[in-house]
Amino acid sequence: MPAAFSGKRPGRRLLLLCLSLSLSVGSPADPTMTPQDASQSQVNSLTKMQGGLNESTPEPTTTTRTANWQTQGSPSDHLTLGHNVSIPALLRPDLTTQEFKQAAKENVSNVTFVEYEVLLPGVSGTSVEKNITLDSAAGIELSCRLDNKYSHLKSLQVTWKRGNETIRHINKTENSWSIQLWILDNSKLGSYSCTLKGEEEISAVFLLQVPKIEGREKPIISYEGDTAVMICKSFGYTPIAWTWYMTNGSEQIAINDSLLADKYVINRISASVTHLKILKLTKEDDGVYWCEAAFELGKSKGKLQLKVLSLMVPLKPFLAIVAEVVILVTIVFLYEIYSKKKEKRAGDEKEFDQVEQLKSEESNGLENSSARHRRV
Amino acid sequence: MSPPAPSDLGYVPPDGGWGWAVVFGASISIGFAYTFPKAFTIYFKELRAVYSVSYSQIAWITSIMCATTYGGGPISSILVNRYGSRPVVIFGGLLCGIGMVSAAFCTSILQLYICVGFITGFGLALNLQPSVIIIGKYFLKRRPIANGLAMAGSPVMLCTLAPLNQFLFDNFGWRGSFLILGAILLNCCVAGALFRPIGAATASVKTQATAEGKDALKEKVTKDAMEMSSPVNIPMETETEEEGGKDCCEKINQYLDFSLFKHRGFLIYLIGNVLMFLGFFAPIVFLAPYAKHIGIDEYSAAFLLSILAIVDMIARPTTGIIANSKWVRPRIQYFFSFSIAFNGACHLLCPLASGYTGLVVYSVFFGLAFGMVCAMLFETLMDLVGAARFTSAVGLVTIAECCTILLGPPIGGTLIDTFGDYKYMFIKCGAVMVLAGTFLFIMNYYNYRMLAKEEKERKAKEEDPKSVRTENEGRNNWNKEIVRDGPELEPLREEREGLKKEVNGTNEV
Repeated sequence: MPAAFSGKRPGRRLLLLCLSLSLSVGSPADPTMTPQDASQSQVNSLTKMQGGLNESTPEPTTTTRTANWQTQGSPSDHLTLGHNVSIPALLRPDLTTQEFKQAAKENVSNVTFVEYEVLLPGVSGTSVEKNITLDSAAGIELSCRLDNKYSHLKSLQVTWKRGNETIRHINKTENSWSIQLWILDNSKLGSYSCTLKGEEEISAVFLLQVPKIEGREKPIISYEGDTAVMICKSFGYTPIAWTWYMTNGSEQIAINDSLLADKYVINRISASVTHLKILKLTKEDDGVYWCEAAFELGKSKGKLQLKVLSLMVPLKPFLAIVAEVVILVTIVFLYEIYSKKKEKRAGDEKEFDQVEQLKSEESNGLENSSARHRRV
Repeated sequence: MSPPAPSDLGYVPPDGGWGWAVVFGASISIGFAYTFPKAFTIYFKELRAVYSVSYSQIAWITSIMCATTYGGGPISSILVNRYGSRPVVIFGGLLCGIGMVSAAFCTSILQLYICVGFITGFGLALNLQPSVIIIGKYFLKRRPIANGLAMAGSPVMLCTLAPLNQFLFDNFGWRGSFLILGAILLNCCVAGALFRPIGAATASVKTQATAEGKDALKEKVTKDAMEMSSPVNIPMETETEEEGGKDCCEKINQYLDFSLFKHRGFLIYLIGNVLMFLGFFAPIVFLAPYAKHIGIDEYSAAFLLSILAIVDMIARPTTGIIANSKWVRPRIQYFFSFSIAFNGACHLLCPLASGYTGLVVYSVFFGLAFGMVCAMLFETLMDLVGAARFTSAVGLVTIAECCTILLGPPIGGTLIDTFGDYKYMFIKCGAVMVLAGTFLFIMNYYNYRMLAKEEKERKAKEEDPKSVRTENEGRNNWNKEIVRDGPELEPLREEREGLKKEVNGTNEV
């Protein structure tokens, strides 16, 4: 299946739709949707659309989703796609009916044509890299565009390469060049580069890969006899199948939940989320687990680590803290009793002194009055 | 004629000494009560996975916990009225510990609701109210500072509990963490042990030991000769014991003073605060999601909350010191209304903040305003109803606030979902708080004027011929003044000395 089409073939037909999407970022309570994910999911939803192959449709229309990555200066500078997506409707007269039928025969009824464009920085030496995630067979157009301000650069030689193999490209506009690819299986994935050779060399690399699966970096902690649940997610993409592997030494053994139904339960919660529930944990269940998602274009793995602890482990800090509390409470109460005794003693002493004083005053007074009495 | 009481407590609070240990204990208790539900949200993700439930079902745990903490206020008040602060707080600490330890062994989400939601929540309720109440018993002159310091426990505890929870979770999983958290919550018992009971009976023992008590001692010696005993020595357990003839209402009022609903100041405070809490907590809940919405990364968004907590931590004691100054203390209600309105103004201006710097500025001002309001929250109530009735007042106020506190964030969330934009939530919160602040300002102006008028009328009455009164009559009048509500009088060395002089005068008969 040729991976390149020259842009000059007339009369190609594809069934195309014209859409406009408004991106809505996920609800505030849902922290998992970043704008990047949201756009990916939009791409995904588009690719799922049935391009019903009806040869009787007169006008082919292209579903083109232009995802613009603008890079200025630093290659790792991505603009969040939140607001930059627009879907123009384009007529693509470049696929012949025959090639279209051929594509159809090769069972690619779900294929739509997606464009990825990179804006090249004018600075030489810097290489721009773009990651493109594909989960199912698709038609891709990769284009490199030179900003208008650099259009003074003359005599540019443009090459598109994959490894050592050169790919024929089309001159889309005066300042942009693109190649069109049919990615139908794993072998077509990889890195594609466009190089502009003039006085300086400017290049950009497109990295086509399967979706990454997210496992968990931190280990999952559970206890003996308890149940552990391990979750794997593929953001926005739907795998065809999920498989879980357990690591035994250096081998990876697939987990068969129908065989050991009272130990392992594998649930596919949603299209892109899978749960592995391990019941009645023991020390032997401790280790590394892998979840593998199978996509049309390949497989992708995520790593998770499970740690099984015994109940004694948290019990020690627990008892330590309880002991600390008891000690502190005892200290506080003892101090209170001590200070009350001290106060009482001080108060008694004072009282004693003052009573003595009063008594002496009284006795003086009585003496005086009796003396007075006698005098009278 | 009898002198006005030094404070309606029946004794002079120490305003220091052991009081500072009480403030420390209170800050621990208050810190746990306010921050535990917030810090608990770290476990949500794991619990959702283990029990296979939705986010809202998990969020019910903290909702139940908050609701029980605030709704358990009246029960707390009744228990404090009956037993004093110390036993209640120790029991509350034990309850929290038991709740969390049993939660470590839960096997269903319903059990979690009960163990973490109800039991721990109720334990926290038994911690929160008595801590606030006992500050009023130990401080009068320096009460705003004490309140500010005690309330500062909340942000300090948040800064320590949140990373601690994360650490525990990473090392012990959720079950181990619950077990250890149960032990940590037992520290509330230590705080409770610090709450030495204080009341007129114990206070009079103390005064006998001081030099001023010399006259009182003379009293003791010559007691048989004299019919009168110094007012200081009158045991004043509760005001109601002095009142004769308990009927049904009075009996209930002994435990929970419903007559507060006739108190003008109390009603003003209640309405203003209930209104304010509609918009109080929602911005904090939605600050991080809002930051992420406008494109800030997760760590910087979390950092905004840290800035808020740090500014809050500094603002609360500072506000306490300012509120204690001689210019602000008599007009503390105005200061409170101003800080609420300032808080509202911050929220109204938030949508204008653009980018990270704008949000940082907003966080700083928000932290400042939040701290100011929280520091004075209970101080103003004490100021309005007096320390003796504060016990019941705080219970009634918390159960009324309970509804709006719980409604605030969900209403904000609904606004965000409906309009897809955060600014309406900020505008709603800001508007509600500015309204509450203005309402409190106007009504307190009215209240101050009415109080001044009543004071004048009372003074006029007292200047009537007073000579024929026996001391017993004087004592009865003094009791009535305690029962009557009124503003806190400036405390009162002079009045105390006036009392002394009178005692002397009658002695030398």
